[in-house]
Amino acid sequence: MIIKSRKEKSKILLFTLPALFIYIVFLVIPMIGALYFSVMNWNGIRGVPLEYVGLDNYINVFTDKSFLLSLKNMFNMVFFSVLFHTPIALLLAVAINSKFKGYRLFKVVYFVPTIFPLTAIGLLWYFIFMPNGSLNSFLELIGLSELVTGWLINPSTAMGTIIFVNIWAGIGYYMVILLAGLTTIPKEIYEAADIDGATPSKKFFHITIPMLKPIITLCILMDIIGTIKVFDLIFVMTEGGPNGLTNLPTTLMYYEAFRYDNYGVGSAIGIIILVIALVLTIGSESIMNRKGRS
Amino acid sequence: MKNKVIIYAFVLPMGLLFIGPMLFTFLSSFKGNTEIFSAPFSLPEVFRFENYIVAWNEANMSRYFINSIVISLATVIILAFVSSMAAYVLARFNFKINRFLSLFFLLGMMLPMHTVLVPVAYMIGLLGLKNNLLALVLLFVAFSLSFSILVLTRFMQSINLSLEEAAIIDGASYFQIYWRIILPMSVPAISTISIFNFLAAWNNILFPLLFINDDRFKPIALGLLNFSGERGSEFGPLMAAIIITITVPLIVYLLFQEKVESGLAAGAVKE
Repeated sequence: MIIKSRKEKSKILLFTLPALFIYIVFLVIPMIGALYFSVMNWNGIRGVPLEYVGLDNYINVFTDKSFLLSLKNMFNMVFFSVLFHTPIALLLAVAINSKFKGYRLFKVVYFVPTIFPLTAIGLLWYFIFMPNGSLNSFLELIGLSELVTGWLINPSTAMGTIIFVNIWAGIGYYMVILLAGLTTIPKEIYEAADIDGATPSKKFFHITIPMLKPIITLCILMDIIGTIKVFDLIFVMTEGGPNGLTNLPTTLMYYEAFRYDNYGVGSAIGIIILVIALVLTIGSESIMNRKGRS
Repeated sequence: MKNKVIIYAFVLPMGLLFIGPMLFTFLSSFKGNTEIFSAPFSLPEVFRFENYIVAWNEANMSRYFINSIVISLATVIILAFVSSMAAYVLARFNFKINRFLSLFFLLGMMLPMHTVLVPVAYMIGLLGLKNNLLALVLLFVAFSLSFSILVLTRFMQSINLSLEEAAIIDGASYFQIYWRIILPMSVPAISTISIFNFLAAWNNILFPLLFINDDRFKPIALGLLNFSGERGSEFGPLMAAIIITITVPLIVYLLFQEKVESGLAAGAVKE
């Protein structure tokens, strides 16, 4: 469509104004504000002047053991999510796609946790993992009472338990995306392979996986970026405990700013989370594009 | 035949891993405290529906539930209009500022909520918007705008131009074209983003956690958390509250299965 005059142009731009207004007020200005607060020292009390401290907040954050631990937790969580999410989701998607009897029901069962509030998911698993919870009852029932422990209180199991719940809650999401990808693979390729006498595993490794490669890469990318932003599960299940061992940068940011009133430090962590997300998004996207071209 | 055995040997245990915890919660929601711990895996001796009544009335789940319905619907409605108007311009008009605007809106997808929490909290405090549902709604709108505009722009670009051209020849204004042609034709894409946006607003606790401390205005996910913190020993009613919280997303999914799935796939770009 062609815009004829300057007057027409300004008329049509009015349509973007409501979106622009909300976007700028609640997102762009706060973004600039975050940079500002991250170089300030402030305890959150209005009237108390903000003190410019330069990069001190960032230096404090990177020399703080609890932040470094939260980074390590984040990388662990990303590693295990990537290791389990897409592979299990792919196997489930292939199984569902074979349309076995009752596959619709199974699809719903695997998928629904991904649309529930993580607060509810976190609480649901909290009651399973608590010391007198049902997991320990179950372990005793089947004679594995030596495994009984306070899963979320024990420092050696707490983070692993949360990582497990995060994996559990996300599998269905990747399954649905991969399932959408599977339906785009032409049936003729499989039929041709059948004529050549290919086994199911050969078909899986030589047709399914190569054909799905772009979507598999997309899933891994989304997984990485999504895992960086995990907050609710930790907040609900351990509040970062025991002793701050299960904090992620997101929860640490929240506690620093809104529990300990270190608004500058909290903002600095917020900016660091943004930078990590940007670097990983741009980095993995460029890897994806390079693969796509070759 | 052998393949089928392998498939079932995989999907059945996995199914149990997924349905087990949910079933456990559902069964526990009808039990008393002692029964939850003494017989965690059995059917309830008697179905204590009163757990649901306690959660709904005494623990205020009814109020949280209604708050969440209001918040989520308002978010969805505002987003549908605001993002479709912007998408109309971005999809249909070619001028310099257009490309800049598209990119500008797209950047919002990368911004984690945590980055802006402090300035947003400052602003909300300054403007006296604590415990204000509209402020909450506008924040949800702001954070879902990028995704909604992207999906709608792509959809509108695929709509055939001829109807609009005919309308222009007939002397229709841009608003008339938007209102009578673009908006009705975009209903499939608008419903997809609406379901996605509904779930995002229903599930979010981060903004309510910071900006809603009055019990009267809490949305359901925060109300549930509140309930578990204050009366965490009443397990039956608490389990009932969890079930109440997840019922709406479940119903939305069962009603609009395909829309939910395509919305999440489109949202893939966002996560």
